Amino acid sequence: MDILIYGTINSIALALMALGFALVYGISRVPNFAHGAIYVLSGFITWTFLNSLGLHYALSIVITMVLIGALGALLYQFVLIRVRGMAISEIIASYAIGLAILEGLRWGGFKGMSYTLPPFIEGSVMIGGIPVDFQRILVVGLGALIVLGLWAFTHYTRIGLALRGMAQDERAALMLGIDSDLMAVVAMAIGAMLAGLAGVLLLPLGNIVVESGYNVLILAIAVCIVGGLGSWMGAVLAAFLIGFAQILTVVYLGSHYQMVVALLAIIFTLILKPSGLFGMQKELEERV
Amino acid sequence: MKMRGIGILAALLAAVFLVLPGTYALAEEPITIGCPLSTAYLYGWDADRAIRLAVDEINANGGVDVGGVKRPFKVEVMDTRDLEPGVPVSEALLAVEKLILEKKADFLVGGPVRSEAALAAMSLLSKHKKVSIFTTGFLTPKFHAMVAKDYDKFKYCFRIHGEAVQLVKEIMACFQEIKAKYGLDKVFIMVQDVSHARGGGKVLGKVAADKGWQVLGTEIYPTGTTDFSMGLIKAKKAGAQILNIWMDMPESSILLKQWYDMKVPALPFGSTLAAAEQPGFWKATEGKGEYTLCNVVNAGNAPSEATPWTMKFYDAYTKKWGIEPEGLGASSSYMAIYVLKDAIERAESLDPDKVVAALEKTDMMGVYGRIQFSPKGHQIIPSFDPKEGAVGSILQWQDGKRVVVFPKSIAKGEIQLPPWMKK
Repeated sequence: MDILIYGTINSIALALMALGFALVYGISRVPNFAHGAIYVLSGFITWTFLNSLGLHYALSIVITMVLIGALGALLYQFVLIRVRGMAISEIIASYAIGLAILEGLRWGGFKGMSYTLPPFIEGSVMIGGIPVDFQRILVVGLGALIVLGLWAFTHYTRIGLALRGMAQDERAALMLGIDSDLMAVVAMAIGAMLAGLAGVLLLPLGNIVVESGYNVLILAIAVCIVGGLGSWMGAVLAAFLIGFAQILTVVYLGSHYQMVVALLAIIFTLILKPSGLFGMQKELEERV
Repeated sequence: MKMRGIGILAALLAAVFLVLPGTYALAEEPITIGCPLSTAYLYGWDADRAIRLAVDEINANGGVDVGGVKRPFKVEVMDTRDLEPGVPVSEALLAVEKLILEKKADFLVGGPVRSEAALAAMSLLSKHKKVSIFTTGFLTPKFHAMVAKDYDKFKYCFRIHGEAVQLVKEIMACFQEIKAKYGLDKVFIMVQDVSHARGGGKVLGKVAADKGWQVLGTEIYPTGTTDFSMGLIKAKKAGAQILNIWMDMPESSILLKQWYDMKVPALPFGSTLAAAEQPGFWKATEGKGEYTLCNVVNAGNAPSEATPWTMKFYDAYTKKWGIEPEGLGASSSYMAIYVLKDAIERAESLDPDKVVAALEKTDMMGVYGRIQFSPKGHQIIPSFDPKEGAVGSILQWQDGKRVVVFPKSIAKGEIQLPPWMKK
């Protein structure tokens, strides 16, 4: 029962961490290596609004989402657009932005463990004899809603359909009058907001530390590679595979192997099926 | 009239030299203290603040008397980054070398902080014949074993704070008190995947088992872990009564929040638990960390009256930095500067060999008791009584405050159990 409960919670948390990365790559083909930094930054911004400015928690989150979305759009418009299509430069540029954000936060004094966001709901409940706190239950519920909302957005709205068109075939989308760069800006803004949402949902479970940015980036990349770069549903499925594998590893092998699971998942995927479970990249034999 | 003017000028000059000796000392060439510290982490910044406090106090009182010349101390801090995940030892060694070669440090005080990096730095320090006093984080007993084994090579290295073997002794003595008072005898060990914690957890498990405790398991967590749920469930299922924790990562406060939310019926006991050492722990855990015990290594890092100097240091630190001494590196880093000053003055020189000889003869009543180094290992001599040696300090969070509960010689309160553990 503990494996089922905490496996589900861990999987949804991983899906939340990875969705933004998968979305940005799916639309713009830009691997946003600043994803982890945006996740952490959203936590610190919310903390600042909440604690330093004394704003209401919900209002702090809303303003944070707006700011983070704008930041994502600006990053694409002023930096990433200039290197789009150059794979190595995209990685270097986005990683450099992420480093600048994380090290800038540290330099600005955001260090230590005193930065915390309160849980949305205090308390815990016993499920099948296993204690689970309400915030984790909320993560599962809201995480599922976000996945469903993203699916509905990309299937039933004009912008969402345009984003899907871009993801499926950029040239065909261009022929239909879809502005490729505008869609990439929108994707980057939504991707950043998804990273931010993951941050404000998951960070109340612990505390906000700069180092989380690096871990979240590795986990997001692992989920997206296993799921198939560019596939959002693949990312969700991969999050469940890696999430449960991590929990099983903790139970049967030990906690210190937990991070190894994500790294092994990347290695095995690249060896056995480089395009991932639902990837749209061509298989090696097709490309040769 | 002219004579009167000269007289006034002479009197003014005399006043400058006699009344303001600090200013006079500051005109002399400073003695540079290089501080390799992981400044983004508790055990780095608390040491940094404590060193600066001591240096400011000493300089304000005229500086260091080096063979009749009063010279001020100057602090050069460099970030070693060695407390970051992955333990970048090479970064730490680079910082040490830069302090020696570029900043022309006369002495080194502080780190590297992580044992892996500090051990690696010892050969470098010996190569440059730099007298170094380790003051924070570096807990492994390998330090004094290395100095004792190859004294001629490593004689320039000293350590002024407690080490893992003494910590285990203190923790076991405290465990025995808990056992006698509450009948608890089942321990579950949770450690961070770094050298000192793995080693400490292993030794404690063995010693506890030898003393009749049931050691139910050991869980090792990578640095940066943010979810401890499954480990806590394991501990709860196994029937743990004490959670022995060795972690210096800031994320360890999450462990205590989860412990509270799950109402795990086991007393959290941080052998090293950086998060719970800090005054901000209460706010960081929204009070959920109440009843957490933690070892802050030396007295002075939590309020007590170990010696007349303890609260004097505690209050001065609080006044200067606006926060109480925060972690295990504070009182020892502060004390190291005074010990170094004392040794330089007795040696009447900055010559490393003369200062080493003087440091070996150190006998001072400091912030956490009598300060003396073991003659061959250069490790501070520990004791449960501050009159005899460096005394440790174990605190418990009670009603928003850090209350020292062990050893008895300096305790300010009794160990308490959380309500869900009371029968």
